[in-house]
Amino acid sequence: MSISVVSYGVYLPFLRLRREEYVNALGSCSADIKEKTVMDVDEDTMTMAVEAARKAVAGLDLERVGVLTLASTSYPYQEKVMAGTIVEALGLRKNILTGHHGSSTLAGTEAFLSAAGLLVGSGEKYALVIVSDAPVAGASAEMEHSFGAAACAFVLAADEQGLELEGFYSCVTESLGLRFRPAGEKEVRDIGVRTYSNQAYNETVGAAVKGLLNKLGQKPAGYRHVILHQNDVRTTVALAKKLGFGDEQIQEGLVYGQVGDTGACSSLLGLCRVLEKTVPGDKILVGSYGAGGASQALSFKLNCRLPGRSESFQVLLEDKKYISYTHYLKLKRSI
Amino acid sequence: MGAHISIPMYQRAVPQRYRLVGQRCLKCGKVNFPPKAVCKYCNAGFEFEEVTLSGRGTVYSYTIIAGGGAPPEFAEQAHCQGSYPVVVVELEEGPRVIAQLVDPPPAGITIGMPVRAVFRKIYEEEGVIRYGFKFRPA
Repeated sequence: MSISVVSYGVYLPFLRLRREEYVNALGSCSADIKEKTVMDVDEDTMTMAVEAARKAVAGLDLERVGVLTLASTSYPYQEKVMAGTIVEALGLRKNILTGHHGSSTLAGTEAFLSAAGLLVGSGEKYALVIVSDAPVAGASAEMEHSFGAAACAFVLAADEQGLELEGFYSCVTESLGLRFRPAGEKEVRDIGVRTYSNQAYNETVGAAVKGLLNKLGQKPAGYRHVILHQNDVRTTVALAKKLGFGDEQIQEGLVYGQVGDTGACSSLLGLCRVLEKTVPGDKILVGSYGAGGASQALSFKLNCRLPGRSESFQVLLEDKKYISYTHYLKLKRSI
Repeated sequence: MGAHISIPMYQRAVPQRYRLVGQRCLKCGKVNFPPKAVCKYCNAGFEFEEVTLSGRGTVYSYTIIAGGGAPPEFAEQAHCQGSYPVVVVELEEGPRVIAQLVDPPPAGITIGMPVRAVFRKIYEEEGVIRYGFKFRPA
């Protein structure tokens, strides 16, 4: 049985915070972003999830969606079946298999792969995967400067033409002190040693990508695009180059500079962006990452063009309103 | 003083609040939203078929709620935004509904402006998030 993405949707919040706002307020910005997306006072990861999913399922026979998986590091509730909100908001059928993924930014590809697995196991036709994230850290934490918000959703189909999942490979290791949140706390932290966190990222993501290429007998040159998890652009680009990919394969999938670190969304949001620039026959490699730590590398091949969307990624990036750092702190409930 | 809506009462209206489920009167054909026991248009029909509204419509009227005028459940929003617009939207299926407008255009709201429904947090009470629809310029 083949599993393919047959449609997708992206949601970016309307509000943006420019890098200069940090520089003006704090004297510096530790993130190499141009700007980042910010949720409004009445948004959370579930409202973003619904908006992205509505775009992904437009025109689909909802009665045939038998699997729903969600991913976020920052659900609005720590305990509650979040899929219930989605089922009601979209009008999905109630006999639906669900999976909730969280606890790290690996959750995005975890939800994607578990939806693929549930689809194969259940014999259902369509699965909906929704990845919606908005990581949170304290206003005084340096890692907070990059934290953005976004959602993307994918409809997976069994035995249908589209963006076919060709294979995947995982690497899981124990790495301590990198982007963690003790039980009961709202804000993530890390020990703040960048060389140490970069080393873990490089080793884990590198191992997953190399493992996938080996498993499939592929070379980096066989891919049109590569999208790796984006904590910061420099590290991501350096690793992709070290793995043998060139600038033209890397650039299209970099979304960090305009949306920030979108946690579990990161690499899958990049996938949504490159899909607009992909033609049948192209291969795409996605490498996710979750600190603590693990990476999943996924290989895709586009078999046929996906249905056009009403708004291009570029239109979403340009549909925005800039806010001040003070307003941002209000939205964060810091003041 | 705010109009307290109990959780069970909110729960009953979830399909209409989350995805605009209304009802078409089998007698006169008009669409009722929110759903009624008897059709508000012909005052006679009491059998209906369920219809999910498109969420598309136009601004029929609007007002701006200033910070001090916000009901308590919207106090946090008013604190954050200063003021916020509330619109009466005429949906393309006919019904007029009242809701907030998000991301208003910088040039201001105009009567007849096309809008579409979006899914947002309306307010939070007793630790329970009340989701529902608002409108956004289309």
